Parts: sequence; structure tokens; C-alpha cells
Amino acid sequence: MDNQKLVDEAIKILSQEDVKCIIGYSKDSNGFRVSPLFVRNKGDAEKLFFSPLCSMSLINYLTLEKGNFLRENKDAQGEKIAIMARGCDSRALMQLITEKGIAREEVIILGVPCRGVIDLKKIEAKFPGVRTCAEVTEDQDTYRVCFDNESHEIPREELLADHCKYCAFPNPLVHDLLLDEPVEQKPANYADIEAMEKKELDEKHEYWKEKFSQCLRCYACRNACPLCYCDNCILERLSPSWVNRSVNLPENVVFHLARSYHLAGRCAGCGECERVCPAHLPLMLLNRKLEKDIKELFGYTAGTDSEEKPVFASFNPKDPEDFIL
Amino acid sequence: MAKKFDPNIMAFLCNWCSYAGADLTGTSHFHYPPNMSAIRVMCSGRLNPLFVAAAFRQGADGVLISGCHPGECHYMQGNYLARRKISLFRNLLEFMGISPERLQMSLVSASEGKKFSNVVKEVTEKIRELGPLTIFEE
Repeated sequence: MDNQKLVDEAIKILSQEDVKCIIGYSKDSNGFRVSPLFVRNKGDAEKLFFSPLCSMSLINYLTLEKGNFLRENKDAQGEKIAIMARGCDSRALMQLITEKGIAREEVIILGVPCRGVIDLKKIEAKFPGVRTCAEVTEDQDTYRVCFDNESHEIPREELLADHCKYCAFPNPLVHDLLLDEPVEQKPANYADIEAMEKKELDEKHEYWKEKFSQCLRCYACRNACPLCYCDNCILERLSPSWVNRSVNLPENVVFHLARSYHLAGRCAGCGECERVCPAHLPLMLLNRKLEKDIKELFGYTAGTDSEEKPVFASFNPKDPEDFIL
Repeated sequence: MAKKFDPNIMAFLCNWCSYAGADLTGTSHFHYPPNMSAIRVMCSGRLNPLFVAAAFRQGADGVLISGCHPGECHYMQGNYLARRKISLFRNLLEFMGISPERLQMSLVSASEGKKFSNVVKEVTEKIRELGPLTIFEE
């Protein structure tokens, strides 16, 4: 991507009087990591950049900057915040607009077409102990990884984050300006979900039992999710306590049932929950399963149309009813 | 002789149709298995799938949700909304390796006392075949 265009546009946006700040990515001094950057004056704008290492979603920083959507803070309104958004982030923004969390005119969306990002866990496993700032550029099929005056070429497939392999929305669906040419869009692919569905019930039971017993219940998946913004989370409430605080398999199962179901018809597919999970749980499997079923059963895809009613606030008399006794 | 497995079944009944239907079952002296405990909710649409997960966690082997027939909901559309939520939640349970048969939904109106007793019999037999739910045990 042309970095100069990003910097120029950022300076142009900051010259508008009603813009509070720009939320974007900047290089970090430590290995493959990338930091979020809040640009409040024009001097900082040149630190902005985008590369395949930018795997985190910035939408949560918008929530932090604006204050919780559910609280009434009217004084903050009227000020705009500009934010860099990839395809999945734009879906999360669209979903927040649908839920009346943010108003469309309060954000300036800098759309970044994205061919997929690198999984930090994978690249750190491949190049352990890199402490100097590394740079990554991408070609059609390879990533060029540069650090310590060395350059390595790695096939894309080896480093690409898992949720990006199945991404059907690489281009921002909603944006005020696009920073690059749109990239090729692939049809939705649910191969991993279908493979899992075909397994026997016992096999699935054993698989999830093993996964959920590793869950630490650190709540990182919830905190990192751009669409989990409730002030008083039902998973932490003590009265009534739907999920107990104790960390054991049964409570973990209830926790994950509740977490994934709260995102049914809302998940934007950014993969943040999986990225931050210290136990490497395949949480996107659950989210994508629900996404697939909602698409097939109710013809709804989250974050694609801000005018459509949320899936559980509407119904169709022809909805499936073969399971009813 | 091995003891026969007696399932615990939690039933969420809508105030306007199914709860009245269950009442009629009692006053008409129709028999049904004693495995079911009923909780009255104002509408089947009130049901949060988290209630179902919590019921399973606290020892239920099966859950029955019963509401009004389509078009008869006291709140116009609550049962349609419930149907959506429950059908998706069944799919999620199946994906996690819990048999979706453990979560049943039925439509019983206030005048169908006989149907209610048949529904409870059918659900109890289904859950009895499936055996105890184990993923929610330590």
C-alpha cells in the first residue's frame, strides 16, 4: 500500500476542525508487533502505516475514545473520529451503526483493502527472539520479512491468519475514502465448519471437552471483541449468576455457549477473540458456525446492511420448524 | 437389577397457552411422567438461550420450551422470535457435541390438555434413551 497517500489523507483529515483524532497503526520497536496510534496533531501523521503485520482490530479503541456506547455522553457528540478499517473492521462498524452504537456521521472511515494479515503466533514461532523492528511486505504469493539486515521469503499460506483464509469481505463495505485499489473478493467458504459438522456427536463432544478444559476464563476474548461492549456483562453478573466464576469444564462450556451465542448474527469475523486467546482455543469455529447457519436459515449476514433489522429482532413465518414436536 | 435412569426435564411454559394447557392436563386427570418441572415465563419469546445452558449446567438432562401456536401469541410475535432463537441454539448444541434432541420445543394451546401430556411423555422417553448429560459434569 502507498504509505504516502495514507499520510497525506491523514493530514487533510486533521485539518478539518471537527475531527478529534485519527486511530491507526504505527510501527512498534519490538519485533513483529504493531501498536495502535492516536494521531491528534499533524506532526504525528507520518508515523501511520499499514502492513500485513497489522493483525489487531482498532474498533475497540473507538469505543474507548468515545466512551461506552450504552452510556449517555451527549457532550462528546459532534466531534468526529477517523479510523483505519479493514474489511472485517468495516463490518464491525456497520454492525455498531445498525445497533445504534455509533452514528455514521460521527466516524470517518479510512478503508484499507486487505488480502489477509499475518498471525503473530505463527511468525514468532518461525523467527523466535526477534527484538528489532521487523518489516513485512507482500507479493502475490509470498511475504518478504526483513529484520537485522536479513531478508526472508515465506509463502503466504504459512503465515496467514486462519480466519483470513476464509475471509469473504476483504474490501471495506463502508468507507469515506479508500486508501488502495480494491482486492479480489472470494466467495464465502465454510469448508472447516462443514468438516466439523460431519463428525460424530461423540467426536465433537471429545474435541470441545479437550478445548474447553484448557480455557483459563481470562475473558480476553470478550474484552478484545469489538462487539462486546455491554457495561454490565451477563457473564460477570453475580445475581442472577447464569455462569459461575469458578473455572472448570462445566462452567467453561456455559461461558462459551453464552459468549458465542451473544455474537450470533453480530460477529464481524475479525478473529480478535482467537488472536488474543492465551489457550489457543478455536473460537472462530463457533462464531463462523453461527454465521453460516444464520446465512443459510435466515438469509442474514451481519454487518453488510445497516438498514436491515437485527436477525433476532425479526422473523419470517417460513422459518424452519421441523424440530417442533 | 440396574436402576432405570430417571431424567430431569426442565420445562419453560408460556403463561398464556402452554401453562394453561398444563393446568388443564391436571384438572382433566391426564397422566404424564413426573420428571418434568415447570417454570412459567410470560412468553416463549422471553426465553434467553442462556436459561437453557444454565438449566443444563444445574442438572437438567433435557429442556422443553412450550409456547403458543403461530399467530396465537399474546404478544403477537413472541413465539416466532423464540422459534428462531431455539432452532439456532439447537444447531450450536449439536456443533458442540450435545445432542440437539435435549432441547425440545412444542406448541400447545390452552385447550390442548391431552396434547401436553403426550408431549411430556414423548420428551421424557427421548431423553431417557439419550441418557444423562455428561459434558456439564466435572
